[in-house]
Amino acid sequence: MISLRGVTLVYPNGVRALDRIDLEIEKGTFVFLVGHSGTGKSSVLRLLYREVKPTSGTVIVDGIRVERLRNSRVPALRRHLGVVFQDFKLLSEKTVWENVAFALQVTGAHTRDVMRQVPRVLDLVGLSHKSRMYPNELSGGEQQRTAIARALVNNPKLLLCDEPSGNLDPSNTTEIMELLLRINLKGTTVVVATHNQAVVDRMRRRVVRLDDGRIVTDEERGYYFLGLGQTQVLSG
Amino acid sequence: MDWGKLKFFLGEVRRNFTRNAGMQATAIGTVAVTIILLGAFLYVRGLLMHLSTEVFNQIEISAYLSDAASPSQTAALRAAIQRDPRVRSVQVVPKKEGLKELRRRMGGQVDTSLLTQNPLPDKLRVRVRMPEEVAGVAAHVAKLPGVTTVNYGQDIVAKLLQLSVVLGRIGIGIIALFVVIASIIISNTIRLTVFARRREIGIMKLVGATNAYIRLPFICEGFLDGLLGALAALALLAIARAELMPKLSAALPFVRLGASSIDPLRLALELLLVGGAVGALASWVSVGRYLRV
Repeated sequence: MISLRGVTLVYPNGVRALDRIDLEIEKGTFVFLVGHSGTGKSSVLRLLYREVKPTSGTVIVDGIRVERLRNSRVPALRRHLGVVFQDFKLLSEKTVWENVAFALQVTGAHTRDVMRQVPRVLDLVGLSHKSRMYPNELSGGEQQRTAIARALVNNPKLLLCDEPSGNLDPSNTTEIMELLLRINLKGTTVVVATHNQAVVDRMRRRVVRLDDGRIVTDEERGYYFLGLGQTQVLSG
Repeated sequence: MDWGKLKFFLGEVRRNFTRNAGMQATAIGTVAVTIILLGAFLYVRGLLMHLSTEVFNQIEISAYLSDAASPSQTAALRAAIQRDPRVRSVQVVPKKEGLKELRRRMGGQVDTSLLTQNPLPDKLRVRVRMPEEVAGVAAHVAKLPGVTTVNYGQDIVAKLLQLSVVLGRIGIGIIALFVVIASIIISNTIRLTVFARRREIGIMKLVGATNAYIRLPFICEGFLDGLLGALAALALLAIARAELMPKLSAALPFVRLGASSIDPLRLALELLLVGGAVGALASWVSVGRYLRV
């Protein structure tokens, strides 16, 4: 599904965000990207949805050479993947239903498909009964579920989450993670960048650890820290 | 036809337009002022152009013949001038006719009955097709045998020609200036509304909306701004014209300022088109800045 080979990313301000990264992610897996802030977790995700282009190396998403993609083809790429952020990125003057439908409508989808897909994803995230409410009438967890519904409404094969629980309390975090797991079980590849230790340790999924723009470890059923209870990473 | 799609689109345009109502009013107002100036200028320019063609059409070359010229010589001369493609008409004015005309023109101011004999020679009255050719034709006619002097109001013709050239040039410059000003104002307004909606644009891009799709509502917004501004301007111009034209006609009785000079409907359509096009173009440019990845 995802293949990064020798990817280096240097931002225009000179910051070297990623340094010769190699990463393979199989279809249907659930992967955590962990590490301190500024270690390049978000940069990996941004490469995948072509917010940025790598300075060197190749980025392949679902068979598409993303770094070679012309600007005019970027919308087509983004319709095949969903992205979820820490700050939800919902439109406050639109209802839950409109926020989710918006993602389809702005891609020129037929109204018939909007009427079919929106109820489906709202049901999946458990918000059918709140579809007429506005984001500021919802809890943080519900807002994030709305954002996830919007990310899923295009039936993407890949869901990218950048700190999805960053603004949520522990119970909402659990709720969101369970939802992401359910989505993953339906066959969607899920990549979650997080520094929420509790979540990572409880889920026991593949953990890719980044430090200073490099992948330092990659474990099949990992914990947040290298080996349970090890704390030298924090002090370092 | 997918009515749901259309409804969504129109809803987006309407929301955009009403959310920044104050800003839209500013843009519309400024476009209106610009279009009023442009429209008034175009109208006055049209009138002046019309006036100068009126005067040109009255220009004639008087070629005075020597007294010795016989009627057959005069006829031959007339035929020769008539063959010139630049010439529209040639008319023989015998000395008797010339005197009658002179009397009519003087209208009793001078007692012409005191004249014991007719001092006027026979003359040929030559009209040309294009005003620019008057001087050339006059020079040519002057050289023909049997013609003594040629007169065509040289000074007036030269000045009028100059005026119409200058009007044409300044006109294009001023029109361009107005269009540029209106574009800058509209594009600034649209830029503010784009700025207010940058979050939305970011989300649109994230979920895979194409740039063209994102642009469309903004272009409609700019088009509406331009169109409404032009409409307001046209209403005011129409009122002004209705008020001023009768007075102007009364002040200039000898000039025909009739409907033939400028077609107000055509001018109105042109101004509407300019307003709308400038609005659409200006917003196309301003949204572009926010669409770069």
